Amino acid sequence: MTTTETPATTAPAPTASGRRLTTAKAMVEGIAQEMERDPSVFYLGEDVGAYGGIFSSTTGLLERFGPDRVMDTPISESAFLGLATGAAVEGLRPIAELMFVDFFGVCMDQLYNHMAKIHYESGGNVRVPMVVTTAVGGGYSDGAQHSQCLWGTFAHLPGMKIVVPSTPYDAKGLITAAIRDDNPVVYMFHKGVMGLPWMAKNPRATGPVPEEPYEVPIGKAAVVREGRDATVVTVSLSVHHALDVADELAADGIDLEVVDLRSLKPLDRETVLASVAKTGRLLVVDEDYLSYGLSGEIAATVAETDPGLLRSPVRRVAVPDVPIPYAHPLEYAVLPTRDRIREAVHQLVRA
Amino acid sequence: MTEVLFPQLSDEDPNGEGVLATWFVEDGATVAGGELIAEVMVGKVTSEVHAPAGGAIHLAVHEDDVVRQRTVIATIS
Amino acid sequence: MDNGLRLSLYRTMVLIRVFEEAILREYHADKRPAFDIGAGLVPGEMHLSAGQEPVAAGVCAHLTAGDAVTATHRPHHLAIAHGVDLDRLAAEIFGRETGLGRGRGGHMHLFDPDTHFSCSGIIAEGYPPALGQAFAFRRQGTDRIAVAVTGEGAANQGAFHESLNLAALWRLPVVFVVEDNDWGISVPRSASTCVTSNAIRAAGYDMPGERVEDNSVEAVYEAAGRAVGRARAGEGPSLIEVHTLRMWGHFEGDAQAYRTDLEGVPGRDPIATYEHALRSAGLLDDGRVKTVNEDAVARVEAAIAFAKSSPEPAPETATEYVFA
Repeated sequence: MTTTETPATTAPAPTASGRRLTTAKAMVEGIAQEMERDPSVFYLGEDVGAYGGIFSSTTGLLERFGPDRVMDTPISESAFLGLATGAAVEGLRPIAELMFVDFFGVCMDQLYNHMAKIHYESGGNVRVPMVVTTAVGGGYSDGAQHSQCLWGTFAHLPGMKIVVPSTPYDAKGLITAAIRDDNPVVYMFHKGVMGLPWMAKNPRATGPVPEEPYEVPIGKAAVVREGRDATVVTVSLSVHHALDVADELAADGIDLEVVDLRSLKPLDRETVLASVAKTGRLLVVDEDYLSYGLSGEIAATVAETDPGLLRSPVRRVAVPDVPIPYAHPLEYAVLPTRDRIREAVHQLVRA
Repeated sequence: MTEVLFPQLSDEDPNGEGVLATWFVEDGATVAGGELIAEVMVGKVTSEVHAPAGGAIHLAVHEDDVVRQRTVIATIS
Repeated sequence: MDNGLRLSLYRTMVLIRVFEEAILREYHADKRPAFDIGAGLVPGEMHLSAGQEPVAAGVCAHLTAGDAVTATHRPHHLAIAHGVDLDRLAAEIFGRETGLGRGRGGHMHLFDPDTHFSCSGIIAEGYPPALGQAFAFRRQGTDRIAVAVTGEGAANQGAFHESLNLAALWRLPVVFVVEDNDWGISVPRSASTCVTSNAIRAAGYDMPGERVEDNSVEAVYEAAGRAVGRARAGEGPSLIEVHTLRMWGHFEGDAQAYRTDLEGVPGRDPIATYEHALRSAGLLDDGRVKTVNEDAVARVEAAIAFAKSSPEPAPETATEYVFA
């Protein structure tokens, strides 16, 4: 079984280092540093070896650590994610990659019924210290089966921690924290925040990353922009879009506070409530499906704590319960774009 | 002064164009020798560019600019 | 083999290749010089089937429009060989309202009720629906069959094994086709599969298994004939594995740095090989080759023109067709 001695590290401030990386490179650096430090850490998944990961999640790791620690698997998600669970139970610390989160259907039993429940079912006697990394998100016409976010589905099910980095700094800090955590952690990285050269990217996909190892605490949101007029709670690529809209609207005298949740499980409800208490207006932006998910959870958090905090009803910008369309104009009609965010903010502050 | 060249990534088309996909440093920044300064792409092949020397870097092209292989993308002095 | 059939197989393969080359051209035309996967008239992932034409032509020659075909993320050759309308196929790839899916499905999610053709992007998950179509055809009292196609990588996925067992157990009129193009994206078969041929696995599921080693359209045709015959006669499923060739990348934009066999690829082009064989047999000469090519180009360019001149779907209709 597993015990861990976590090195004590306080997270260095993001601006303390001038060195900049893309989110992908920051994620890889975090994994590499942990693999260096802890020989029980290994990475398995499809095309993670020579290819370096379809979205560059493992570039260079095979060359550095060899095929015993960076392993290409067959297209057998149930088998290799289940294998990771069993290996974790016996004291290794696997990182298993589900290439696209959309593929969870073929292996979800191993994740939600096994990986996530073993600790509880064993009365705390068995630990499963594994990480599942997975690519999420759309916006480049990959269609209904390759563009989803699905963090609402995963976060709904007990026993798995869920982290969703939006910046290079958080990408490294959260993967480090996830690997060191003795619980199963699902690490969901949006393809659009990775800073890949072959996909349109937001400038925020590159940013300062300290060279030394550090953790970003799991379960803690970040107020990435302070403001007075309305709170935008969001995650992943939508953080970039919300910040872009906030910059624009500042010129119109609308001052937005943007909260990057960073973790969905555990969820930092305190930071959300403190922000809404300050601004009195709440917009949730979520690239996952609208109904029965993250945006409803944030709204419920406020409603069941103190609806009096709100000056106007909660607004939600999410994907409207439709499979992600292939054709570009249709896809961009359903994604939570800057236009939709801006429109929602205007309605929110006018209400 | 040291010139930083866009690497040659294509053997079949050595004078072909690529793109400067990402700058990791700002114009005027002080870089160390070996530091990662850019990521470039020719066709489907990407490559990292590291500073050949330390010093103050001056960027000659912008992000997303089309650049011919082996042309100057920055100077370090 | 009948000469008319041989020429027909050749024409089908040429049509497929011309189509894939046109899509290749259109896909990259507006993504230069910086490859941006989401840009242009044909955005997104693109998985083209150059080199795998013999599988489509050889198998689908035994089928009618009433037979079902389920395919994968690399579907165009099967769609074309099975008779999916070229205009509507192209329009769907271009994301237009006149496409098979009104622009909503795209190149990996093609559905054509007229030819019972479908495909999806989740590895091996096209096998179970094929079982269902076969089940329905039998229950409806017909001798129609379902052909389920995957790659060799899919033979290591759970749904593959469940499907083979269930099809054999219930003696469903299915033909399982495995396109072994040596590579599951970047992973060679030797690194993913414990056996050297999935035809061996067929025995474990109580059905005949055949492996066609040389990507020959006539060998595929012969093997498929046996399998299709069995299925139509109510004798149950069979598995055919074809050692075929992925001439281009897994997807467009794949630099294929991992690939060790690239140098030999042009020499293994199955259409060039078959053309040579037909020339030797006196069935093709320069004139005929040119005519076949020109006919294919005319059909394909007409389809592309149809696609390009078709309207894009209106954004306000994005949430329509979730439910009937």
